[in-house]
Amino acid sequence: MLVTYPEAAHWPIDPDRLDLVEEFRRQPRGPHGDELQKLLHRLRWAGDPDQPGRYVLIVTQPGKEWMLGRLPRQRGRPIELMRNHVFTSIAEAEWEVFKLRWEAITGRTLPPHLSEKLA
Amino acid sequence: MTDTTSVLGYAWPMVVSPGEEVAFHLSSPSVSKADAALVRVRCGDPDPAGPGIRVHEMDAPFERTVPLVHQVIRPGSCAIVADGPALTSFQSFTVGAFLWPTMPGDRAQTILSRWRADTQEGWRLGLDAEGHLEFVVAAGGRTWRTATSAALLSREWVLAGARWDADAGRLAVMVRSADAQAGRDRSESVEADGPTGLEWPAAVPLVIAAHASDGGGDLFDGFYDGKIDRPRLHASVQPIDGLHRLCESVTFPMADARLVAAWDFSREMASERVIDLSAHHLHGRLRQMPTRGMTGANWDGSTDRWTDCPEQYGAIHFHSDDMADAEWEPTVRFTVPQEWRSGFYALRLRTDGGDEPVESFVAFFVRAELGKPRSNLAFVASTGTFLAYANSALRLDQVHAEAMLEGVLTLSRDDVYIQEHREVGLSTYDTHADGSGWSISSARRPILNMRPRGNVFNYGNDTHFIDWLEEMGQDYDVITDDDIHRHGVQVLAPYTCVVTGSHPEYISREVWDAFDAYQRSGGRHMYLGGNGFYWRIAYHPTVPHTIEMRRGMTGLRTWEGEAGETALAFTGEPSSTWRSNGRPPQRLVGVGFDGQVFTHSSPYRWLDGAKDPSLSWLTKGIDLATPLGDFGLRGNGAAGVEIDRVDFSLGSPPGTVWLATADRLGYGGTPAPEEIRTLHRGVMGDQNAQVRADLVYFPTANGGAVFSTGSIAWVCALSHAGYRNNVSQLTANVLKRFLDPTPL
Repeated sequence: MLVTYPEAAHWPIDPDRLDLVEEFRRQPRGPHGDELQKLLHRLRWAGDPDQPGRYVLIVTQPGKEWMLGRLPRQRGRPIELMRNHVFTSIAEAEWEVFKLRWEAITGRTLPPHLSEKLA
Repeated sequence: MTDTTSVLGYAWPMVVSPGEEVAFHLSSPSVSKADAALVRVRCGDPDPAGPGIRVHEMDAPFERTVPLVHQVIRPGSCAIVADGPALTSFQSFTVGAFLWPTMPGDRAQTILSRWRADTQEGWRLGLDAEGHLEFVVAAGGRTWRTATSAALLSREWVLAGARWDADAGRLAVMVRSADAQAGRDRSESVEADGPTGLEWPAAVPLVIAAHASDGGGDLFDGFYDGKIDRPRLHASVQPIDGLHRLCESVTFPMADARLVAAWDFSREMASERVIDLSAHHLHGRLRQMPTRGMTGANWDGSTDRWTDCPEQYGAIHFHSDDMADAEWEPTVRFTVPQEWRSGFYALRLRTDGGDEPVESFVAFFVRAELGKPRSNLAFVASTGTFLAYANSALRLDQVHAEAMLEGVLTLSRDDVYIQEHREVGLSTYDTHADGSGWSISSARRPILNMRPRGNVFNYGNDTHFIDWLEEMGQDYDVITDDDIHRHGVQVLAPYTCVVTGSHPEYISREVWDAFDAYQRSGGRHMYLGGNGFYWRIAYHPTVPHTIEMRRGMTGLRTWEGEAGETALAFTGEPSSTWRSNGRPPQRLVGVGFDGQVFTHSSPYRWLDGAKDPSLSWLTKGIDLATPLGDFGLRGNGAAGVEIDRVDFSLGSPPGTVWLATADRLGYGGTPAPEEIRTLHRGVMGDQNAQVRADLVYFPTANGGAVFSTGSIAWVCALSHAGYRNNVSQLTANVLKRFLDPTPL
């Protein structure tokens, strides 16, 4: 059986590379440089292993509004809706999820100028 | 937030002719009635950047309020052998089979049984909750049990059986590993005290891969995941060597009166019957369509098709989540008026009493009757593809989904429902709970992504073309894959032009042959999609709207089938991609699948082929110095998502006119696996010119022609700027000329 393993993505993330965070913040939907692509691949592939599920967006109004949620790894278990995290653009949502993931994987809090919501 | 799931249903049949009856099988766990309307679908995509949901309420004699009850779905496959005297005419017996369990230790599972769960009577061979083989006999309030000390391994063949010696009052379970070395050996025989005589329960079926819940004969429990090969039941006390001989035998002398049953799952492969080779004819029926044509413990690799050597394909892979028929009672019936145009239709169900408004659609299709066209244009509802993707949980279950889609997953209300309600049955993109591929898909169940407001892929995208036809004031008929499969080129022949939509991906041999014959006989085919004519499927020979596919060792596949299991049980044909069946899509439509791009879509740039003065009808009113389709609802371009290219070595006709290409897709352009021979860097779209979407035209025999766009995003660009754009103009130019009967 051909299996896809969640731990397969292993590009080493350097917590000092705040330039990559800034690059993502400038353009959450890309295009991105080579190193940011690798960083994003690692974050997206692993799917929030420190969380009870993968961060996802639930469409609350098509094309207009999205809610953050957590998709459990086990089939049949309900998606957790995070009703206090609602976004009106995909870019804004991407930035919020990126921040959560960066802080979880590096164990560091982002500096104030990089932790704000997307304008 | 619109509630799209509190009311669900399916239409049966899924495709009807004017004058025929369609039944809507509906269910709701929370709503007792809903306002109902029959609607003709123009656009099913709620995206506010496009036309939005556009449906036309039909004036039809139909109940405006429908009562709803909760109807459950009971997944899980098994074989059921009706009770008969032969099943209770003995005391001592031996039972067993070759097993390839896929979820030992997940929960208790029954392999072979004549057992009532409610009264705990009968006998049962199974796996206990830890994966040990266990044998239980019980009657009169007493139970005897024995089990192995070691749990079985997942995906390793064993001979597994049990015996009850009534004279000696002993039970035994027996396991013999097929590969008894390197840590895989689970061989053992364990005995325990048993009864010296039993009274069997009355009127209980013998069940393979589950057991009866009660005496009613309709409810089953204890479903098993994995393969069972050559199950045998013998009214004698046999050591494991005796059981082994019984299971290895594939023919039986009728003189052996103690042979109660010997099932051969390689017989009547396409049917829902299992055949007993014994003198008792204890044939059974399958429920929920488990996977047949599976390699047995004796498969030796000498062939990869069950038709070559059926005796090596005596296994059925049962799944506790197999689901082919929701078995819901019909709620309302409707006879389609004769005057209705063919098209995409739906039953719309609404309530507004709860916290959120409910709006749920149940899709069905009204076909243009065979031989009675009402237009010279037909649009094909890609029902094969709709079924293949039915209730896809790919984004929920598969590790690669977020990386592939290049962004945080955006899930609909329907996805939220499917995550919790796996009983609706998944798609051929998904894996069963045991990790094996889902190869069968039916329409006797709610299909959440084949309806307006559903996830916009395939059905939703295709309605953008219907919307465009309506906007253009162009009349058309709708025909379906299912009908083309059944009636062949007769369905296509009446039309001057036939259009296939955004993703006609799943194609039976009959459908391919029909398009080939149509194109050869002067037909005009506009293929306005990407990744078309890609996978080879079969339709069930007797059950309507039911397809089977196998994902082999090539192609862009979300699961890979096991070696030797790429042939379709429904027909015996090879499955996998059409390219690996000697028919690359390029041969039929000029272009074939080469890659995906989800970062963004792109415009095409015009090539010299488009500047041929003889093609001025095609480019009329279009500035060839301007990019073609630098807009659209899918990634802001007309070329994207899944894309196809010209390749003369793969069969693009020598007469192909290469009109335009989108070959600068950036790093998001990812090539299909079959496009790469060896491993090397530089294969992505930023470096690889073979990852691209090509736009082509070529004339065929007898004045026919083909026009292909090679991109799923194409139809989602048609409505841009009030439908006044170069994608719309080009589509209109081609359609106009293709509807002109003058030979091309």
